[in-house]
Amino acid sequence: MTTTIQYMLSGLAIGGIYALVALGFHIMWSAAKAVNFAHGDTLMLGAVVAVIGVDQGVPLPLACLLGIAAGGIFGILLERFAVRPFVGAATSVGWMLTTLAVGVMTEALATLQFGGFSRPLPSPGVTGAVHILGAGVYPQELFIPVFAVVVVVGLKLLQRHTLVGRAMQAVAHNKQAAALMGINVNRITALSFGLASLFGAAAGILVAPVIQVSASMGAILGLKGFAVAIIGGITSAPGVVIAGFAFGVMEKFVEGYVSTAAREIVGFSVMVLVLLAFPQGLFGKREVLKV
Amino acid sequence: MGSRIGVGAGLAAVTMMSLLSAAVAEQMPCIGNSSATTGPAAFGGQAIKMGAEIAVEEINEKGGVLGKKLNFVQYDDAGAPPRGVDNTRRIALADKCIAMLGGYHSTVAVAQAEPVNEIGIPYVGVLAANTKAIENGRNPNFMFRVSAKDKWVARYLVDQALKVSKSGKVAFFYENTGWGNGAIVDVKDAMAKKGKELAAAETFNWGDQDMSPQVIRARDAGADVALLWALDREGNQILRSMDKVGWKPTIIGAWGIAGNLGELAGPLANGVEVIQTYTFMGSMDAKKQALWDKVKAKYGLKDPAEIKMGSGVANAYDAVHIIAKAIEKAQSYDWEKVRQALYTVNYDGLVAEYKPAFEASDPERQDAILPKYYKLTVWVDGKLLPIEQTAYGKTN
Repeated sequence: MTTTIQYMLSGLAIGGIYALVALGFHIMWSAAKAVNFAHGDTLMLGAVVAVIGVDQGVPLPLACLLGIAAGGIFGILLERFAVRPFVGAATSVGWMLTTLAVGVMTEALATLQFGGFSRPLPSPGVTGAVHILGAGVYPQELFIPVFAVVVVVGLKLLQRHTLVGRAMQAVAHNKQAAALMGINVNRITALSFGLASLFGAAAGILVAPVIQVSASMGAILGLKGFAVAIIGGITSAPGVVIAGFAFGVMEKFVEGYVSTAAREIVGFSVMVLVLLAFPQGLFGKREVLKV
Repeated sequence: MGSRIGVGAGLAAVTMMSLLSAAVAEQMPCIGNSSATTGPAAFGGQAIKMGAEIAVEEINEKGGVLGKKLNFVQYDDAGAPPRGVDNTRRIALADKCIAMLGGYHSTVAVAQAEPVNEIGIPYVGVLAANTKAIENGRNPNFMFRVSAKDKWVARYLVDQALKVSKSGKVAFFYENTGWGNGAIVDVKDAMAKKGKELAAAETFNWGDQDMSPQVIRARDAGADVALLWALDREGNQILRSMDKVGWKPTIIGAWGIAGNLGELAGPLANGVEVIQTYTFMGSMDAKKQALWDKVKAKYGLKDPAEIKMGSGVANAYDAVHIIAKAIEKAQSYDWEKVRQALYTVNYDGLVAEYKPAFEASDPERQDAILPKYYKLTVWVDGKLLPIEQTAYGKTN
């Protein structure tokens, strides 16, 4: 029983990380019908800037804010120079390749500046484990899935009750119609990328005390976060979060009762099967294209 | 037509042979190295550079080798085997070095064994510990090593583990890489030699964030000692998962956790033992102090803790001196003559007393550092100290 609870808690913590990454993909897709494949590296960027800040003697909260700001600026610049020039093209190859290229460059640059070692980001949330029905977990790990749920609720409120949120929905629905209604489509798209990257960098800082900070920390998180977004249905914020939690818990049970080696095989097989059965993801909406 | 092709092919072959023999005949007084100088293991390449450059300086201060100044050239392989193979060819055929040093990654070393023996340039590994890279079944074998060997490390760790285990049950955690998968065979073999089996053998991937399933299985198997074949990042996750599930075994690791585990895991790392061939930490004898003074002056370091892979510095330093002595014994830069001479070098080095460095009659003795020279260190408050200089040494 304790073992089962341990797998549930550990799975929710990991799943919360996937959910946060997947939410970033959801925000970008909702406004631009494009995503930043370097989003995993946005997490890394936020965490790396925070650690460098702490190294330079900047107080921890301020260093974290600097990391989040760096992530936001990164997202806006990336949208302007690596996504916007290619979004109108007939295929998606342009922005896919440019964002992937930016990701590789960012990781290489971070390795040069940050060195090869993983580094810790101090947090009171990982000084000691708390025990729930015999299973151990760090408070920081418990906070991650809670934060993901808060972000989903915040997003819904933003979309329903603010002008910017409604403009984002309008742009997502029909760019031309939104533009005719006086909405600055480019600005809203840039804003959505900036917002996704702000959350991405914050997520990076939040998970850093648990998984440690390194130049390569974003690669696998970005990949799994994208897989989770696809499984959950990239158009649905609650969908990607539920899928993130489920994916994390499933991984822990596969590791626990089958083997660690089987984890990726099972995980990505599930993704393929879900896509075959539900092309829009488990909770995604079918998108109708009118020609 | 057929005869023309035959004549053409013959001419081409003769030209190739003459080019190759020209390349072979003109070795230059240099020692090459392919190692990761960028990427996550760049600290390994940096350590090799420090040790090799200081040794080369010392040799040149005494007149170089056979009257010529010795050079050291280092190329980055970033841990990628194809780049390691390319660098091997470059060092042997373009730079025409007399010998080359190996790098940090076992996967690269294993890939280099083929071209090294094909070309016939003496290769001396100074970090990568994979058994098969050096014990590759080739005769003559141009692959040598002045570093730890996984097979011997495994026996050393198993000996230590069984010494401290009360239940006699040992768990093994290893990374799912060429290094880890090579080690599981060696550890199982070392256990079998003691008439035992591993209580649990658990694997993990680079970047895994939680190891609680593996740790729970090892705990439930009744193990009271955990052997780690991991790097710092994953070693830290194993320690944290042990903390979460409330399991406190004795932990002994190969040198992958000799980098910054103490910084990552904080107090959880206290008491974790790590095998090394050399450390700059703790009190220094005259020889160590002299080398540290040179490292400090040349690379602007302030504290020995800034050297992340002290074993790499010392191994590379000893390896370069051994190669230089072999060149003097051979009285030639010729690869085969130097290879033969390596079996005759006696040298009182930093890590070991090499008497001789290698033995031609024993394929296991292409490795110079015998297990009796391995050193046990222990993490104490973020510092990795020689175990005998700590409170942990008194309880062992």
